[in-house]
Amino acid sequence: MQNNLYHNRTAQWLAYLVLFAILILVPFIWDDAFLLNQFARYCVLALLAVSVSLIWGFGGILSLGQGIAFGLAAYGMGMTMQMQFQDPVSNPMPSFMLTNELETLPLLWEPFWNTGIGLVLTLAVPTLFFVLFGWMMFQARVAGVFVAIMTLAMLAAWYSMAYDMQPFTAGFNGISPPLPLQVFGTMIDPYSATAYWICVAFLAGLTLAAKALMQSQFGTIIQAIRDDAERARFLGYHVAYYQTVLFSISGLLAASAGLCWVMIVQYVSPTLLELSLSISAVIWAAVGGRLSLLGAILGAFLINGMQSYLGDELQQVWMLVLGVIFIAVVLLLPKGLVGLVETILGSLAARGRPAAEDDAATERERV
Amino acid sequence: MSILELQGVSKKFGDFPAVNEFSLSVDQGELRCLLGPNGAGKSTCMDLITGRQKTSGGKVFFKGEDITDNSEHKIVRSGIGRKFQVPAVFPHLSVEQNLEVAFAKGRGPFAAMGVFRRTLGHSNRFDEIIEMIGLSRRLEDLAGLLSHGETQWLEIGMVLMQDPDLLLMDEPTAGMTEQETLKTSEIFNRLKGSHTLIVVEHDMSFVRQIADVVTVMHMGGFLAQGTITEIEANPEVRDVYLGEEGDH
Repeated sequence: MQNNLYHNRTAQWLAYLVLFAILILVPFIWDDAFLLNQFARYCVLALLAVSVSLIWGFGGILSLGQGIAFGLAAYGMGMTMQMQFQDPVSNPMPSFMLTNELETLPLLWEPFWNTGIGLVLTLAVPTLFFVLFGWMMFQARVAGVFVAIMTLAMLAAWYSMAYDMQPFTAGFNGISPPLPLQVFGTMIDPYSATAYWICVAFLAGLTLAAKALMQSQFGTIIQAIRDDAERARFLGYHVAYYQTVLFSISGLLAASAGLCWVMIVQYVSPTLLELSLSISAVIWAAVGGRLSLLGAILGAFLINGMQSYLGDELQQVWMLVLGVIFIAVVLLLPKGLVGLVETILGSLAARGRPAAEDDAATERERV
Repeated sequence: MSILELQGVSKKFGDFPAVNEFSLSVDQGELRCLLGPNGAGKSTCMDLITGRQKTSGGKVFFKGEDITDNSEHKIVRSGIGRKFQVPAVFPHLSVEQNLEVAFAKGRGPFAAMGVFRRTLGHSNRFDEIIEMIGLSRRLEDLAGLLSHGETQWLEIGMVLMQDPDLLLMDEPTAGMTEQETLKTSEIFNRLKGSHTLIVVEHDMSFVRQIADVVTVMHMGGFLAQGTITEIEANPEVRDVYLGEEGDH
């Protein structure tokens, strides 16, 4: 087991660094605006998959509500970008509010006049929501399939709210800020290499931080709680506290993904709070390997790449294709694609070992 | 001086009294055996001490403090370690990581985030315990790959890593071979004196090897208490418990 390269921590870090180095170099190889935007989207969705890997793979908590943080942050970002376009004097309200017969800007929107506050709220509100929601569930010792059901129900509730509160959220139509995000007076073109690099930076920075976190004692304890929460409790751990912290961190990651998403697509609608996105994220992580953050990233790239490049006929039955892939992975590769890598490296190590011992034996004979 | 004191503790599941006005006092440094037929309320008693179940009546005092209504992790942190009846370890962590989690003793999440180096290497207690439970060659292996006996020892080792003032051992030899039982009794005899232990056991030969004082429970209540010879001679005990044992 120790000889398996897959379990070597240095090799693991190297694999991450190689992947991110490749991602950083992409704009130098293909200088294609459409492609860069598409890759930026994959990076963002990969970050969402990392958040799933963290809470489900390491924490053993199957959350179908990662879309809540993603969607809430997306709305926060949409509101921030929309308000950058508004003018306090001549044009203080987004046009959809006027068609919905609002007379003043809702209080909810006021803080978003300031881009800095808007960006902070974009990340803080979903994270705080995950703190409260997580604490509510975990101190009541909700576990297993019941967490899945509760997160699912909560997602559905947020979806209806975004859909129904038309004067505040533009309902089904969603918010489409007319201009890209501006920071410090510079406009970030969604199709530029800069926007792409920002997404890569978010993905790389947060994934490496999460990786370090999982290698710290916190990660060991989180996995201990996953294996046997009762045992951990009787070793003196406040299990609900640990689970809430992990859930909130995964929420922060999903929220960061939501922020980046709207930066590069300039549009937010209730579809981001639909069940299909949250379930898909779970499938990306499962296909790549939920026990590995890198696996979740690869799974997200692979499945989303397939979705983009498969023919039109398959597009129409995409959810069916995705379902078949999911079932196949669950049956054949329960640890996902990286599980396959682990097995291959393990058998290589096993083959290498007896050979080395034989060599040693012949050495001895010679002496 | 008594370290643990149960005063008329009761637990009802619906109308069924699993533990009924049971009192117990255990002294510092003592090894107490808790004996009784199936359903006598021994494990429930452990649950009441550690807060896994809430009492329906009565009080639990530990080191003079009332811990009856404390939550589990607080009770553990006040110095009570527990080994479960069905061995519970973390199967996907290595043996060393299992012991490390036990060693970190309920530290908070943010404190744990800053710890990257293995803390165990610096601890004499670790060397002593790993030698005692005999798993020094299996540190890197996943705990899920251990045999049943080794799993039991690992869990005993984990409870010892916590360095608790009181150890509760729920059927530590369940499912062990004779030889494994013998080794376990050696471990317990080494712990005697330096640690306070309460051992719930079915296996009479094991109890003979380790016990100072034996308390017998029956139908959720107190039946008898004394040395192992006294207990074995007690006609009431023979009637409810040892008689069955003799049939084997």
